[in-house]
Amino acid sequence: MEGPAEKLKADYSTPLEISGLTVSLKTKAWKCAIVEDVSLRVRSGEILGLVGESGSGKTVTCLAALGLLGPAWQTEGEIRLARTRITDAASASQLVSVRGREAAMIFQDASASLNPIEKVGKQLTKTVARLRGVSTGEAREIALDLLRRVEMPDPEERFHSYPFQLSGGQNQRVMIAVALAGRPELLFADEPTTALDVTVQSQILDLIKSLRDETKMGVVFVTHDLGVVKEVCDSVAVLYAGRIVESGSVERIMNAPRHPYTLGLIESMPTLSGHVPEGIEGQVPAPDKRPQGCAFAPRCDKAQERCRTQLPLGARSDGGDSVACFFPLEGNLGRTERPELSSHSRPADGPSTDALLSLKDAACDYDTRRGKFRAVSGITLSLNEGDRLAVIGESGSGKSTIGKLMLGIEPTSEGTATFMGNPVPILGTSDHIAFARSVQLVPQNPFLSLDPRATIGSQIEEPLEIHGIGTRQERRARRCELLESAGLSLDLATRYPHEISGGQCQRAVIARALALRPKVLICDEATASLDVSVQARIIELLRELHRMHDLSIVFITHDLRLARSLCSHVAVMRSGQLVELGETSPMFEAPEHPYTSQLLASMPDVEVADSRTMETMQ
Amino acid sequence: MTGFVFRKLLRTLFTLFLVVTFVFFVLRLTGDPVSAMMPDDTDPAILDELRKQWGLDRPLGVQYLEYWFNLLQGDFGNAYRDGRPAIEIVAERVPATLKLTLTAFAFIVIAGFPLGIFAAVNRGTAIDRGIMTISVTGFSLPNFFLGILLIFLLSVTLRWLPAYGSDHWYNLIMPVITLGTAGAAVIARFVRSSMLEVLNAPYIRACRARGMTERAIIWTVALPNAAIPTITIMGFMVGTLIGGSIVTETVFAWPGIGRLLIDAVTARELAVVQTVVMITAASMVFANLAVDLLYLVIDPRRRYASGTGE
Repeated sequence: MEGPAEKLKADYSTPLEISGLTVSLKTKAWKCAIVEDVSLRVRSGEILGLVGESGSGKTVTCLAALGLLGPAWQTEGEIRLARTRITDAASASQLVSVRGREAAMIFQDASASLNPIEKVGKQLTKTVARLRGVSTGEAREIALDLLRRVEMPDPEERFHSYPFQLSGGQNQRVMIAVALAGRPELLFADEPTTALDVTVQSQILDLIKSLRDETKMGVVFVTHDLGVVKEVCDSVAVLYAGRIVESGSVERIMNAPRHPYTLGLIESMPTLSGHVPEGIEGQVPAPDKRPQGCAFAPRCDKAQERCRTQLPLGARSDGGDSVACFFPLEGNLGRTERPELSSHSRPADGPSTDALLSLKDAACDYDTRRGKFRAVSGITLSLNEGDRLAVIGESGSGKSTIGKLMLGIEPTSEGTATFMGNPVPILGTSDHIAFARSVQLVPQNPFLSLDPRATIGSQIEEPLEIHGIGTRQERRARRCELLESAGLSLDLATRYPHEISGGQCQRAVIARALALRPKVLICDEATASLDVSVQARIIELLRELHRMHDLSIVFITHDLRLARSLCSHVAVMRSGQLVELGETSPMFEAPEHPYTSQLLASMPDVEVADSRTMETMQ
Repeated sequence: MTGFVFRKLLRTLFTLFLVVTFVFFVLRLTGDPVSAMMPDDTDPAILDELRKQWGLDRPLGVQYLEYWFNLLQGDFGNAYRDGRPAIEIVAERVPATLKLTLTAFAFIVIAGFPLGIFAAVNRGTAIDRGIMTISVTGFSLPNFFLGILLIFLLSVTLRWLPAYGSDHWYNLIMPVITLGTAGAAVIARFVRSSMLEVLNAPYIRACRARGMTERAIIWTVALPNAAIPTITIMGFMVGTLIGGSIVTETVFAWPGIGRLLIDAVTARELAVVQTVVMITAASMVFANLAVDLLYLVIDPRRRYASGTGE
């Protein structure tokens, strides 16, 4: 009999081995499996990408491996870290001795993962002293050295900073330094770059790779972004509804995915070369509503009777290729090129006669405690009828402020904002009411912009009521029309926001924005909180609406790939300045401003260089 | 830092000014010390004479200005009856009250914090529910009732403790429990919810992930973070204690300013009442100032936000 956290002979070649892992959430009354029959192996120096959409069980798998799940969770199967077997019965002290030493973990929100009231240097020093059993003085030296190794700028100075004084990227560097404190053989990285700007993300990814090379530690890299996977991982395990559906080397998976879900995910990713994402129909089943056969079958266009009743043999991530599908795809991935949306070719910055919305030398100041803060300045750009303008930039670049100026939420401090030749009225004035019919906003978080206590249908009708448009019957009819054009089924009208998925909520918000037949739709990070397969479908919807209703779109985003797949023009923002403005394809092929090139180079991309022949056959 | 303290201090002084003014007028509008002191059948001429003697016949505004004039010179006025300075009468009662309230404050912290932490760590278990039930009972009991209950139980029935007196340490036991129970119950609840919030924070999970023991996490990471919001409550607690001490001192015949206040109000000893009220108000206001400053010491985020950082 093996003891609960029995010490094994050190196995430096495979610091993580999981087989047949099932993790369930249980209460007295019910038990629900979140992760089912997962097997994976990570070798020293290997970066394994654990990929999947929200709710697929990626994070739960990592937490289970460190025994970090609470008492409400039950794990079955085998988990072996470098020298230790982790089981439910492992005692607290056994787990404590493993964590940080054999395996460490870094998290998505680094700024929230550090003790907010202790200086980072002190936190790091304490961790080093504890994990390496050295004196505080020695630990301090090691801690400083670790900060240098994670390439922290001014490490001596930063040592005495509190987490709130550091940027997200710097905090993530601190977290990585803390994770390295115990010289672990394995690192779990749970979406460590998701909350970061692209240029910072690419630095952190490089850092993780170089530390891996240096220390030969194994890395489990959890992410939903296949572009990031392609950038850092050696092998990939794709999770869907708690099971590994496919695994293999990065090259193989990205070039020749065999599971329809993997293909769907790859196709959902917009690319810098302009691939138009195609989403996957339907949504991930909730853990307690997973179907009997293959969980992907209801969304799979290749599914047959067998898929719905039988479970395909689980894929194992153990170095070789493996796929859990009765009818795996074969051949290389190709791209279906879709016709570019037509766009009148014109310079976006020139004073144009038929400009719908334009900003001229516009600046915007915010009042802060320490006086005025100029968020953007000297912005000149215009949106013509039928344009799709992307405003891209990193956080704090002023891209949302541009949206606010266009919507009249903020007044211009200098320069002008005009709509069809007239100044944009400011929110709250009587002119703004009429203006709002023509320009509508789609915000980032659909849940927050819907009233939780009103039905979807009534919220879609609301703009019509406010503006006194049509009779009751006419509004009802328009509501059905709107639901349909947003790709929602009519019976959703009677549901409440919490009863429908995130993607459906965002569609409802779009439907509501379209109720007044606006000329311009301003989408502020409208897909940023959605899963990629859902995001792709929203992009599809926006393209469709553009085509059908001759809608002009301003798409504010940090994701250059989205800008490429949706927009005709791009405005690149950096610290409140407009650094480059022009048509999308020429700019992406030959950016003029060095910052644009830097952004493009930092953006992880799934695009495969050559193989563009479509050969998905059975 | 000094600028911040200076601004806080100015505001504190303004609060004190308002308190003094309010007390001055309310006391004079609600009853006449002369008629309260003398028998009902006293000759009105004598009453008038007394009023004149004590300066009560002059317009309120004049009395008020004179009061401030004396106050700024350190003169708090004299008691009508024996003519002793009010400040002296109050000062000899302060130590007893300080002893009672400070011990009660220590009791609140020593009982409230561990109970709250213990309940939070054992969330949802019988321990948690038990502590919370006791806590609800604790702050629902009026403290005069709790005092009488204790006397009945410990003095009358069990004969363990004397019902009154203030000379020995054990005389403190019942008054402190009477005065501190409600506060301890409130602190326990507050610490519990604050701890629960902190224990769910991402940085706690990160601490676990790097192998810190649960005990170390609770005491060195979670508690300091959870203690920050409880400091506000502790500031309020000072006010509750001073208010509560009036009742408690009366129940246990404790020779502090609480009982002095009750006596002085009945006798309409204006100078004494004003002095007691001013001292209690000042201690509350300074407790709140201390809370504000304590925040700066323990929460670096506030330190930098208030522009007082390094």
